[in-house]
Amino acid sequence: MTHGKSRDPDICCVRTPHPCLVAAWLMAPALRGRPLILGGLAHERGAVTTASIEARAQGVNEGMSLNQAQQFAPDAVFQSVDEEATARVRQSLLSTLHHFTPDVAAGQDPGCAFLRLDRLALRWPDRSKLLAAITGAIDRTIRVTPAIGVASSMFVSQVAAERATAGAPVIVEADQTRRFLARLPIDVLPLDDDLREYLELLGLRTIGRLQAISRPAFRRQFGLKALDIYDLALGTDRRRLRPWRPAVRIEASEPLEPPVDNTEALQFIARALAERVSAALLSQGLGTRAVRIALNQESAPALVIEARFAYPVTTAGELFDGIRPRLLRASITAPLERITLRAGRLEPAYVRQPGLLIRGDGRRESIADAVARLQEEYGPSLVQRAEVREDAAPLPDHRILWKPA
Amino acid sequence: MPDRLQQAITVLQTRFGSAAPRPAAPPCPARPSGIPELDALTGIGGWPVGRLSLLAGPRGSGKRTLAQRSIAAGSREGQVAYVDFPCRLDPEFLCRFDARLDQLLVIRPKSVKEGMASIRVLARAGVDLICIDLSRARSVGLDTELPHLLHRAAEADCTLLLVHDAEADDAIRYYASLILSFERSAWVFRRDGDLEGLQVEAAVVKNRLAPPGRKQQWIVPYPIR
Repeated sequence: MTHGKSRDPDICCVRTPHPCLVAAWLMAPALRGRPLILGGLAHERGAVTTASIEARAQGVNEGMSLNQAQQFAPDAVFQSVDEEATARVRQSLLSTLHHFTPDVAAGQDPGCAFLRLDRLALRWPDRSKLLAAITGAIDRTIRVTPAIGVASSMFVSQVAAERATAGAPVIVEADQTRRFLARLPIDVLPLDDDLREYLELLGLRTIGRLQAISRPAFRRQFGLKALDIYDLALGTDRRRLRPWRPAVRIEASEPLEPPVDNTEALQFIARALAERVSAALLSQGLGTRAVRIALNQESAPALVIEARFAYPVTTAGELFDGIRPRLLRASITAPLERITLRAGRLEPAYVRQPGLLIRGDGRRESIADAVARLQEEYGPSLVQRAEVREDAAPLPDHRILWKPA
Repeated sequence: MPDRLQQAITVLQTRFGSAAPRPAAPPCPARPSGIPELDALTGIGGWPVGRLSLLAGPRGSGKRTLAQRSIAAGSREGQVAYVDFPCRLDPEFLCRFDARLDQLLVIRPKSVKEGMASIRVLARAGVDLICIDLSRARSVGLDTELPHLLHRAAEADCTLLLVHDAEADDAIRYYASLILSFERSAWVFRRDGDLEGLQVEAAVVKNRLAPPGRKQQWIVPYPIR
């Protein structure tokens, strides 16, 4: 369905069935086309997490008890939710979309994701080809054809995607948004029970009836808080798209042949690994706040050492400074076969660049890092800050608040 | 130094290079202590930067009050640290000297080794002034730690103050560049008989940067402020 053509909409909503349903289909393709209910086995106490279209056709709904669901759909297959597989499906969906544009956001609805399309105009001048490419890519990854809605805001695109069918996207042009929403029931708006009841009492059952009311009149009648609902009814959604970032795992590993049993040699290898990790961090503009070193020993359990940093660290020198003292203190009981360095808690390397020509600039970061290292090594109570509470009773224990720096 | 003497030294330095006479104590930057009398006493205008100053004397002689006043003055200019071995620092007392508590790090180590490691790390990170409040029982093992600590402090231009209750060990006395000995000389009373303050006498026992032997007296007023 396409309404006119005045300006390209910006936001694309991609809807797939619930990721746990997709995960179940990927694990057992034979379940496709059969009534499938997820949430637990039929005899268990619990609620339905989601159900396939075939099960819904028999009256099964989300939140219904499993016992009741079995009465509605006696021939349905009941399964518990595989949380890990579900998370993998969701990650796959988002990372597939991330290949098209970095402006990808995960929706509140688990099977829903949003993309900004306006920055893809140069690469994909033909929008229909872009939507076909997105559909194809998702189909190849998770074996599901998504429903796609395109509109000028997240809310309208989501509503459009709910009304789209697989392979037939619904595109709502910006100037057609009000007309598109007007014929829909008010249930598509995120109303609380009180407001819904109030609107129905007033006979306002479609968004079009709501749009006919002026904004000041709506505010007088329903209050300031309800204005967000009014704006959504007009197609204005002030939510900003929060970009999703793909999980990045940066690690470097080195087999030690022959096995190493002295810390001197180990330091050289650790330094080389720190440089490799640093190069990987640098290429992605990232910094790490935690480094994990795994030392595989020949005839003893593996040793794991962790180093934490007060701010995201990228350079090899800083990484090695954090690693070295811990390596020297490690109680190595057998020759080492492998050393692995993994950077965790990755963050954009956005830290302030201290002024090189300003004496002492950057000291605060340096002191924060030193304090963090001391607390990690000797416990959080070693370095403390004091705060005097003026309003407390005149007893030292009450007036002085000691807290870890 | 008189101008004529300075001219003579310059001529000799031009003529003989490194063999020429030079001042026994090289110029050393100083950090004001916040007490003008004390700055005059040290001979260089304050605590020597990058070196260790020892404040020794019996309990109740005013040395800790003086050190805490210096810490308060330092906190108004930058980050400072107080290594509280006896765990008896009262931050509210520091507030009387207008200390900025958000600039003060209080370190409460369980052993000398832990405390010295903390000081080394903080000095390297850029803390300007560190006061070490050491009880007599905790000074064991300090002699082996002090050389490393002083090397780090000199590198980082960090001023170290060491407050010691009793007669300091030889090692501490050796490594300190400035030793001030404090003594309570008298109680000061008002005419109506109320206690007004404490008269403190400080003497420079050792000074590597200026002539030692100076003495100074001042009154620590009650209530302390």
